[in-house]
Amino acid sequence: MNYALLVLASPFSGTGSLTAARFAEAALGRGHHIARVFFLDQGVGAGMATAVSPQGEADPVARWADLAARHDLELVLCVSSALKRGLLDDTEAARYEREAHTVHPAFEIGGLGLLVEATAQADRVVTFGGSA
Amino acid sequence: MSAPSVLLVTRHAPYGASLARSALDAALAAAAFDRPPTLLFLGDGVLQLLPGQDASGIGTRSHRRVLDSLPLYGIDTLYVDSQALAGHDLTAADLPPGARPVDDAAIRALLAGHDHILGF
Amino acid sequence: MVLHTVNCPPSHPALGQCLRLLAPGDALLLLGDGVYAALAGSRAAAELAASGAALHVLDVDARAAGVLERLADGVSVCDDEGFVALTERYPRQQAWY
Repeated sequence: MNYALLVLASPFSGTGSLTAARFAEAALGRGHHIARVFFLDQGVGAGMATAVSPQGEADPVARWADLAARHDLELVLCVSSALKRGLLDDTEAARYEREAHTVHPAFEIGGLGLLVEATAQADRVVTFGGSA
Repeated sequence: MSAPSVLLVTRHAPYGASLARSALDAALAAAAFDRPPTLLFLGDGVLQLLPGQDASGIGTRSHRRVLDSLPLYGIDTLYVDSQALAGHDLTAADLPPGARPVDDAAIRALLAGHDHILGF
Repeated sequence: MVLHTVNCPPSHPALGQCLRLLAPGDALLLLGDGVYAALAGSRAAAELAASGAALHVLDVDARAAGVLERLADGVSVCDDEGFVALTERYPRQQAWY
């Protein structure tokens, strides 16, 4: 089946983002296709290239990036959620004259239309929320 | 194959967290792509509907004002948790036009009756 | 048929909302702090049992919390594959958190 995942949970608090990454891996292992993982609201932290996890603890950014690399997964950060949290790729850093780009290259920045499209095409949509 | 139906459930008060706003942005985006979702305000989500909001003092847009613009985007019906409304002593007169209070049985039917649910 | 995922602690209002909106034939998966609702003898576990829904708990979260050791009867333990299998069987999911 074709899955779309919506990740609202912050990767920096609670287990929601990590659970979503494990779910994605398990779904692919069962032969499903994941059309897109869309990160919205606090979920966009998953793409923060400059986050440093404490030694010996799970690194959610690396986990997602590794998953994307192995399975050619499309990871999209909602542009408005990302910008206001300081998550910028080269294009956005240049546009807003910021000194650094902070989005991990495994992720892309995109509009909510990509969530709409993924939802419309998916057989299954699974939402991963966190403590709000 | 026809496009799947989407129920968007929004359960948080408008200003304490960004989730309510994110939910509304997702609804507006879907409507802009001609796929208006069904909106369900549940639990504290009904507080988004309070009239008389003026968010100028906290540097953001009035949530209710954005909600009032939904019909312009083709979202005419807002389903509202009637038990939560009663709990906050809100009545139909407080709600935007198009708001439809629903009991638990009707909410169960909404949950079961859509192809996808986005849970905010 | 709806798969309800709950990852808030039992005192959170979202659990109560989930319980009042469960329908016959729905399933419930506890994850994150939601796993505490599966503590044997707890009020939440009693309410879950009375709901009639199929009850599941995510293994890694339940183990982390110490809940696996005192899991309420009637709650089945599922791994990530089991979570995916639930979404195969239940076409839609409502996330409570």
